[in-house]
Amino acid sequence: MSTRRTFLKLTAAAGLAPAVASAQGAAAGKVVVIGGGYGGAMAARMLKALEAKLDVTLVEPNPVYTSCPFSNSVLANLREIGQQEFRYDGIRRAGVSVAQTSATAIDATARTVTLADGNRLSYDRLVLSPGIDFNWGAVQGYDEAAAQKMPHAWKAGAQTVLLRQQLQAMADGGLVVMSVSANPYRCPPGPYERASLIAYWLKIWKPKSKLLLLDAKDAFSKQRLFQNAWAQLYPGLIEWVPLSKGGKVTSVDPATLTLVTEFGSHKAAVANVIPPQRAGAIAAQAGVADRTGWCPVEPVAFESTLRPGIHVLGDAAIMGAIPKSAFAANAQAKVCAAAIVDLLAGRKPQDPILINTCYSLVAADYGISVAGVYRPDKGQLAEVPGAGGTSPLDVVGGFRGQEAVYAESWFRTVTAETFG
Amino acid sequence: MGRVLLPALASAVLAAGPAGAADVPANGPPGASSCTGCHAPSKLADSAIPRIAGRKAADIETFMREYRSGAWPSSVMGRIAKGFDDQQTQAIAAWFAAQPE
Repeated sequence: MSTRRTFLKLTAAAGLAPAVASAQGAAAGKVVVIGGGYGGAMAARMLKALEAKLDVTLVEPNPVYTSCPFSNSVLANLREIGQQEFRYDGIRRAGVSVAQTSATAIDATARTVTLADGNRLSYDRLVLSPGIDFNWGAVQGYDEAAAQKMPHAWKAGAQTVLLRQQLQAMADGGLVVMSVSANPYRCPPGPYERASLIAYWLKIWKPKSKLLLLDAKDAFSKQRLFQNAWAQLYPGLIEWVPLSKGGKVTSVDPATLTLVTEFGSHKAAVANVIPPQRAGAIAAQAGVADRTGWCPVEPVAFESTLRPGIHVLGDAAIMGAIPKSAFAANAQAKVCAAAIVDLLAGRKPQDPILINTCYSLVAADYGISVAGVYRPDKGQLAEVPGAGGTSPLDVVGGFRGQEAVYAESWFRTVTAETFG
Repeated sequence: MGRVLLPALASAVLAAGPAGAADVPANGPPGASSCTGCHAPSKLADSAIPRIAGRKAADIETFMREYRSGAWPSSVMGRIAKGFDDQQTQAIAAWFAAQPE
């Protein structure tokens, strides 16, 4: 229902638009969005859908977006990498200008963005959705060159394909070693979905192989659901080593595929290192990242608490209790777009409610989920008490199968809403 | 000239729903925009998750109430419905009911 839009159009037509709106002007507003993933692409598109007169530019260097959600299924040969790829044609058709280049500098005072192609864009509001960068060297020896031997595959694309090739080339009986970062990082249950689906594939194709999961923490998302499923589906195949048992990898040697922990060292046939992370580099350049490397924001419009006029979405932001998931980035993007339209028109944005739903596949037809509902509380997004939680531990019939089907339905819907 | 429009507009807006008139942003009352991550706003994608745009508001409210109480078994919707009270649910239901099917 467009009650409010109709109201605003009518009042504007009648010359009743608020003074602020005519001074700054929704019609003349310029919004630049940096980063074309689940957060940025959705924000750009929603801004244009809510206010067609806005001038919206999406800055994204890649012509094709490769989705991390469902990329673990590519590792297990359940999908092809091409099914993860989305182009920006739909976003262009929606009226968004797409600048296929990267942003090199942001001047938060002058409100300008300098692009790698030499152009400079001015903005009334800037949306940053840069995703993550890796803290190279935080695990000693793990740098960009090492990632060619021991892939992270935590940005989907060539790295996903490389890890899959290594798994397929491995001899039966080989040891797969995964190293998982401490919190926070992109997609909290993602490493455990990955371990599950690699085990699913090993059980079929390399049944003498094992997977060692070295973890820099003692607890993880959906832990009991994962561990129950591993015991049931892959007995003896996955060994999880928590922090307290020497799971934290402190250094690696890419030449010998060796991972060293505080308790010993492990030589892998295939090694997957998910390293510590921070907000995408442009966030620090813009001055919106704090000492943790992530970006604090207020909980209504997700405007930076460090630099006014810059909104931060998705994995790069510190969003209180809401996890770093694609579902959350998509939900944040839609709330942020509506808030920016309000702010440009001189209105106060309404306190939002956000939902997160995050599915993981443990096998091709076995899905589990975690959900939460979030609202602003004391300057943060806080979980609504009594809501949310994980799938039940004990279920009957086709419950896990149904959640696997819902997972794929979510993926089709959210990618169509964002890129379609 | 424009001023005479206001009372008429205000009453039309107030009659529009329990969400509270001009407080409804263009992409719905609080929470609504998250729903479309799974419940496609139009026939965008082949999906096992039902669309809710254009459904009767009373039906959406009933589903949400029964998900919340557990009377209607669900995988994830019970956990989500518990995050919304009657008033919030009513506003979301009214908004989706008014969307094109």
